[in-house]
Amino acid sequence: MKKFNDVFVVDDDKVYHFILKNLLKKNNIEVNSRFFENGHDAIEGLKENSKNGTTLPDLILLDINMPVMDGWQFLEEFRKIKGTLNKETVIYMVSSSNSPFDLNKAKDFPNEIQDYFLKPVCLEDICRIFLN
Amino acid sequence: MAFENYVNSNESYTSNQFYEKLLREIPDLIFQFKIEKDNTYSMPFVSNSAMEIYGFEKDFLEHDAGPVITDRILKEDVKAFLKSVLKSRDTLTRWNHEYRVLLPKKGVRWLKGSAKPEAMKDGSVVFYGRITDITANKEQELRLVLSEKRFEFALEASMGGVWDWNLVDNTVFYSEQSMKILDLDETEGINSFENCISKVHPDDQKEYLSDIDLHLKGITDVYENLHRVKGRKGTYKWILDRGKVIERDKSGKPLRIIGTHTDISSQKEREDELKKTLDIVSEQNSRLLNFAHIVSHNLRSHAGNFTMLLDLVDDIQDSSEREETLQHLRTISNDLTQTIEHLNELVSIHTEIKIARENLNLYEFFQRTLNVLSEKINKHDVKIISLIPDDIHINYNPAYLESILLNFTTNAIKYSNPERRLEITYQLTYEKGKKVLTISDNGLGIDLEKYKDSLFGMYKTFHQHPDSRGIGLFITKNQVEAMGGKIEVKSKVGEGTAFKIYFNEKV
Repeated sequence: MKKFNDVFVVDDDKVYHFILKNLLKKNNIEVNSRFFENGHDAIEGLKENSKNGTTLPDLILLDINMPVMDGWQFLEEFRKIKGTLNKETVIYMVSSSNSPFDLNKAKDFPNEIQDYFLKPVCLEDICRIFLN
Repeated sequence: MAFENYVNSNESYTSNQFYEKLLREIPDLIFQFKIEKDNTYSMPFVSNSAMEIYGFEKDFLEHDAGPVITDRILKEDVKAFLKSVLKSRDTLTRWNHEYRVLLPKKGVRWLKGSAKPEAMKDGSVVFYGRITDITANKEQELRLVLSEKRFEFALEASMGGVWDWNLVDNTVFYSEQSMKILDLDETEGINSFENCISKVHPDDQKEYLSDIDLHLKGITDVYENLHRVKGRKGTYKWILDRGKVIERDKSGKPLRIIGTHTDISSQKEREDELKKTLDIVSEQNSRLLNFAHIVSHNLRSHAGNFTMLLDLVDDIQDSSEREETLQHLRTISNDLTQTIEHLNELVSIHTEIKIARENLNLYEFFQRTLNVLSEKINKHDVKIISLIPDDIHINYNPAYLESILLNFTTNAIKYSNPERRLEITYQLTYEKGKKVLTISDNGLGIDLEKYKDSLFGMYKTFHQHPDSRGIGLFITKNQVEAMGGKIEVKSKVGEGTAFKIYFNEKV
């Protein structure tokens, strides 16, 4: 059973977008996914969907190191608008960074972050995130 | 021995008995010494103390003590002894003399003699006097001289000065060396405490007063404070000041405190210098650590993508999707190569001990950079303002100079403000005789409060753009520092950024 229907993928790595799409396809996990290259675009996307009544994501896969607005800045912004979104959204961090700074920083968002996955994401990770 | 009879009103003694009793109570050696006309001498009377002071045997009374008196004088003191005696005899003035004797049991002792000469009718001279053992005093005196000399030397060697603060009348006395250290004029050898405070650097006064107070109250054993003192020319010296209360009244109130101060300015300077070096090293260290994280991050993401794509490629049937996969593989391969190149570049900066320098025309290099970037410059309609004279040469590494100009120019273009035409200004100035290149723009600007630490730290370099800000700045900063220079940045969000590159041309 899949857990999510609508997914926002926030990551500046286009190769990762491609891989994720194909992994989901390969495992017959059908979800509506939207891809954003930085935090700023994703926040705008959320605001837009909320405004015009389009479906909001129930899952966000969030990278950390991105141009314009990184993952941490996105989370700060997300906190501010969280209350206005009429949907329970789960966030997983998916990053290549294993620096202590980032691993500690994740603890600052206990209510927002569900889990932290280190790239590369493997099939197992995908199943853990998407399936029961 | 010849004493006359003596009769006391109550008791009757022979005068001999009377004087003997009295003399026994006197520790000094009492004597009568006689020099005949023909220079022979004898000692008609000598008191019992002679056994103690001169080490005479019990039967000394049976012999003439005269020869013994001189025999026991230390060889080197004999001449002066005789001279003093003869002088006293000839002038009939009181004999006073200090000399050493070598005694059979006690060894060398210091003695002090004092006697009054009297001329006799027969041409002889008789001395009446006493000899005191002053060895203990003399040793004390010598010890004092020695310890004073030691103290003097210690002070001299430590370059320290001494001060002595009388808290009763609030005067502070300074030694000569102290006055030199504090750069006081002659009238200030004795000073009030208030005057002392006024010379202490305002930033150091609070702690200075508190340290003194703690000691005066008896909370600290020794007073010690490091502070700056203003000299007559207005410059400050670092002084290590130490002291101790040496006198308190019955209630414990301090009356007098003495101490030393030492000029440690040069020490302080070296310390500061060392601290600077340490700061550079730790900064470099933390940047390298950061770099290690980035390399690990980038390698991990590239390598991970590589593996995943290869896993997928077999399952992909659609030819256009296959082509896309291959395209991605190529991108990853390029990114990987670039990451490794960056790593290589950085390692070479830090391993090359002596970086080659050449005499370079700055303006030529600047023009070359514009040529390389001409496409970008035209595309973004960038206005270039050059304030670099065309005849300035700098002794620098050509690759590094190129990297500096390229990096800061591309950086300015990349972070230009879309609302206005980008202007980049290149200006060469001098600071303390060193050449400084300022590259300023009217672009987006950087929030330095927020990003100062990460600006050169490559936090912003994770994303996949090959010419992203950060890795370039990081490498450039390392190059400039490896040449002994530095980079400073000033920026205001919405107004622009100015990078100042300090060249160091010394080899």
